Order: sequence, then structure tokens, then C-alpha cells
Amino acid sequence: MSLIEIKDLKVHYPIRTGFWNRITDSVRAVDGITFNIEAGETYGLVGESGSGKSTTGKSVVGLEKVTSGSILYKGQDITKAENRRKLDYNRDVQMIFQDSLSSLNPRKRIEDIIAEPLRNFEKLSKDDEKLRVLQLLDIVGLDADALYKYPHQFSGGQRQRIGVARAVATNPKLIIADEPVSALDLSVQAQVLNFMKKIQREFGISYLFISHDLGVVRHMCNNIAIMNRGRLVEIGTRDDIYNHPLHIYTKRLLAAIPETNVNQREAHRASRLAVEKVYQEQQSKYYDDDGEAYPLVQISKTHAVALPEALAQQLATQEGEVQA
Amino acid sequence: MAENFEQHSDISAADLARLSQEAQAEATPSTAKIIWSEFKADRPAMAALFIIVGFIVFVMVGALFINTPKMMETNIMAYFNQPFTPEFWLGADSGGRSVAKQLIVGSRNSIGIAIGLTIISSTFGICWGLISGYFNGYIDWGMQRVYDFMMMLPMTMMIIVLVTIIPHYNSVTLTFIFSIFYWEGTSRLIRSRTLAEAEKDYVAASRTSGTSHWKIIFREIMPNISSLIIVDCTLSFAENIGVETGLSYLGFGLPSQTPSLGTMISNANDPNNITQYWWTWLPAALEIIILCLAISYVGQVLRRAADASQRQGAAD
Repeated sequence: MSLIEIKDLKVHYPIRTGFWNRITDSVRAVDGITFNIEAGETYGLVGESGSGKSTTGKSVVGLEKVTSGSILYKGQDITKAENRRKLDYNRDVQMIFQDSLSSLNPRKRIEDIIAEPLRNFEKLSKDDEKLRVLQLLDIVGLDADALYKYPHQFSGGQRQRIGVARAVATNPKLIIADEPVSALDLSVQAQVLNFMKKIQREFGISYLFISHDLGVVRHMCNNIAIMNRGRLVEIGTRDDIYNHPLHIYTKRLLAAIPETNVNQREAHRASRLAVEKVYQEQQSKYYDDDGEAYPLVQISKTHAVALPEALAQQLATQEGEVQA
Repeated sequence: MAENFEQHSDISAADLARLSQEAQAEATPSTAKIIWSEFKADRPAMAALFIIVGFIVFVMVGALFINTPKMMETNIMAYFNQPFTPEFWLGADSGGRSVAKQLIVGSRNSIGIAIGLTIISSTFGICWGLISGYFNGYIDWGMQRVYDFMMMLPMTMMIIVLVTIIPHYNSVTLTFIFSIFYWEGTSRLIRSRTLAEAEKDYVAASRTSGTSHWKIIFREIMPNISSLIIVDCTLSFAENIGVETGLSYLGFGLPSQTPSLGTMISNANDPNNITQYWWTWLPAALEIIILCLAISYVGQVLRRAADASQRQGAAD
């Protein structure tokens, strides 16, 4: 059984208009997505800004009110607040936020910040608690003198590691990492990501890794879901997504990865423009009449793509031929 | 589970004392220390602080030694006695009552009302604004309609009516009557900041850490808007001295047998008093000006202490 099973999750925000302020329409931030997260794996959720990936993450951790659908954890639907309370759900599912400065209370000392989940979920003695905080700081590579400082006294990378330490404090089973490194510069990104990987190895934690940076996702994730306009357009393993992309949106995202090899700059540019051309000309083929993604169809055991059945098969065989 | 952490960290219980001592040495100074160094950097504010504290202590203690009903008896022999005489330091008013003694008892009453009013109305306004801003939605809607209704009532007229229909009132009941109407400004101010603050990630992080709503409101959000609260409280304290004074001046504050700064200033209603008998109203007027100025100086220091970018005191 999977650690978390998300079934047909929908998060809609009402749009109110007119004199009576009635609900006339809704913004479909997340519109019926289904996927499972296995224990110990890193699941990547990728998409452009506004594609609903952060909303999905917040729903999984219980911060967002879900319109319909279910999220199963230990067989219980945790979209209901009472089930979350009963399970002590957030002891097992924690979150790392994108903005490390605003996610740490500026008026609290690091000790109190990291100890917050411990105080709520585990009744430790004062000394045990302090010891645990010191160990957590050590695990994310910070010195003990951080204990009584305030968040603004740290650099961005250090703050994000404090955020990681807080998320790991109760030894959770799943951590939602909502663009954890996109606010950091490249060298610090690698540092934080390596700490996250180290922690995953040592504690057997699963990550739901939300990002728009495909390079980072490739480094971190075994399974990847591509999200576009509130729906999943492609699901697959790292190999499926990076080497055999089928949906035009996935191809576009991959084409947008900057190429550092100067010699192939022209070739890269040409391929990017080719993908863009296909995207502009064949919109109707890849999206339905309302401009939304089709339901997913299974291509192989691991690979699924949101296309009409016939087109999906055709593209899959084409892809196979090119590979062969 | 604890073993899990033991395994992956070199730190064990044996290091606890040493490490927490090291951390202590590097600790950031406490808020009280920051405020104190801020006062030390600003001489006028330091003087203002001493004036306020000294004066409040002086009138609170001094008033205990004065027999108010006896002081308020009319003494026709001392009709408008000149100031700076051994018996009447600051002269006497038209009833032959000592201005100096009235000033002490009156200040006690007025400052007492201002402090009480500030504590009650600010506490209520802060709670109202925090809860309304944090929960949002229907709760916010309901609470803001109550606020709108209270704002709609003509405040001064309502107070005058309430004072008239309550048969026996003194400074305590007057404080409560004022408090009914003076929480609104604070609550709107606090609500607007809370709305912005509740959207921030640290609130979401606290929720995923399992902290309860009330704890988030009062232990997470409130400290973050403390600079706003401090400034608002000091300013409304200065303003509240004026509230009682103004109403007493109009004749609807404290009963005439209870001296207050307002009743003393209302001596200036009479052109004769303004020109000839200046000692009946001038000391009270000067006192209010000095107090309000001093309070705003202290408020500025507190604001600077709460905002790291404005500090003038020695760093760390």
C-alpha cells in the first residue's frame, strides 16, 4: 500500500460577482488529480507558476480546504480535520516552505522554532527537548550557538536548513517540500538539497518535491508528475519523463532547461523553437476543446500521459522508433 | 525514535551543558535590554520616562495623604488666594480650595482613568482585531458588522446620556463607560495588520506543527505586531488623558465634587479667571501638555526598540 493516495483531488476557489455577491464561477486551481506517494521515495511535482502544484502540496499537508476528492493516509481520508487530529497527522507529514525568512517567526529564537512541533506532538522533558534541538541542528550542519539567535541573523541557506530541521523534528514519514531551494543561489541550493538527501537516507523519509526547476527535480526524484492548468499531463519515472516525453507541455519544459554547452547552442535553440512551433500549431491536438488537459492514459507500467488514446499510442510508437 | 536521532548526530546528553552554555554566550540580547539601551541613547526620552514615572508615583502616593471631602469644602476666607503663600502653594480657587491639593488628587483621578481606559479598551480592541483578522470569513464579517454598528453611534452624545442616566457614578464607572466606545480604532488597526500577518508562511508552519489557533494568535502573531501595539497604546494613553479632561471640561465627566484635570481646566471658562486668576487653570493645563509630550517621547523609544532598523542604542 502506498504511503499517501491522492484520489481525484479538486481545489476550486469561488469567484463572486454582482450585487448579491453570488458564486458565478470558480478558479480550478487543482482539478482532479490522482497519484500515489510510496514510502521512502521522492516524488517530483513539476509545473509552471499557477499550475496548482503548491495548492496540491498544501492540500496534502492539510493547509488547504479541499473541494472534493480524497487523500488517504493509513486508510483514513485526511481531507477531514477530525481525521487529521485523530491520527496526529502532522506529526507524520510536515512541510518545508519556499520562503525561508517568512516561514520562520522573526520574533522567536531558533530553539523555540525547532522545538515547536516537538512541544505539540511529543511531551519531552526540558533537557531532552534541548538535546533533540541540538541534534537536529547538528544534522543540518549548524552549530550549537544558533540556539538562542533569531532567524534574521542567518543567511538564506542556513535559514532553509533550519526549516528542514523543524520539518524533521518529529521524525515524519513524508515531507512536502514546496520549492525549497528556488529562493537560493545555485551553490547553496546544492548544499540544502544534499542535506535533504542525507536526511532521507538516514531517516527513510518520503518527499513530495514541488519545483519548476527540472534540473533539481532530476537530481532528487525517482517519480515525476507534470502538472499544467490544475491537471496532471504526464506521470512517469525519471527515465520516462526525461528521455521519452510524450506530452507537448513536458517537451516544452524540457526544452526550456538552459544548455551550458556553448558549441551546441544553435542546435539547442533550433530544437526549442521546433517544440514551441508544435505547441503553438497543435494546441487543439494536445488539449481538449476547453483548453484543458485530457484524462491520463497508461502507456507503460510506469508511464501515463494526458492525451486521447489513439494519439498517445501513435506518439509512443514514434518515440520508440526514434529510440530504436 | 530517539535512538534514530542519537545514531545520526554526534551530540549526546553529555554535551548538553557545555553546548547550551556556549549558545548562551552567543545569545541575542533580550527585549528588556534592547529597550534599556535605547533609552540610554536618547536623553530626552530618559528624562521623559523619569518625569512620567516620578509624577505618577508622586500623585498616587500624595493623594493618599489628602482628605478629599475636607479639601473640597468651601472656605470663603481664602477666596482666590494668591499663589506661592505658605498655606496655598499654588493659590486657591473661587471656593477657597487649594489648587495644589486639587491638582494632586485631580491628576490621580485623571491618570487613573486614562490608565484604566487604555488597559481595558486596548486589551479588548487588540483581542477583537486579532481574532477578527485571523479567522477571516464569517467570523470576521460578523465582528466587523458589530464594529460598524459601534462606530455609527455618536460617541460623545452616548457618553453624556449614559452619565446622565446612571445615578451614582465615580471614576470607576466612568472608566467602564468610556471603554465601551474607545476600543474601535485599535481593533481596526490591529485587524488590518493581522490580516496581512496571518497570510505569512510562519503561521502556516505553526499550523502544520500542530499549534492551536489561540496559541498562534497570541503567541505567534501578537509578538509580531507588538511594535504597532506599543505605539498605539502609548498614543491612546496620551489621548485618553484628553478624553476625560475634555468631558469634565464640558461638565459631563466626573462630578464637580471630584477634582480632576478637566474640572480644573474648566475654570478657564470664566474670562475673569483667564486674565486675573491664572493659577486656577494654568498648572493643570501645563501638566497635561508636559505629560502628553513625555509619553510620546517614551512611545517613540519603544517603537524604535521594536524595530531593529530604527535603533539608535548600542548594537548587541
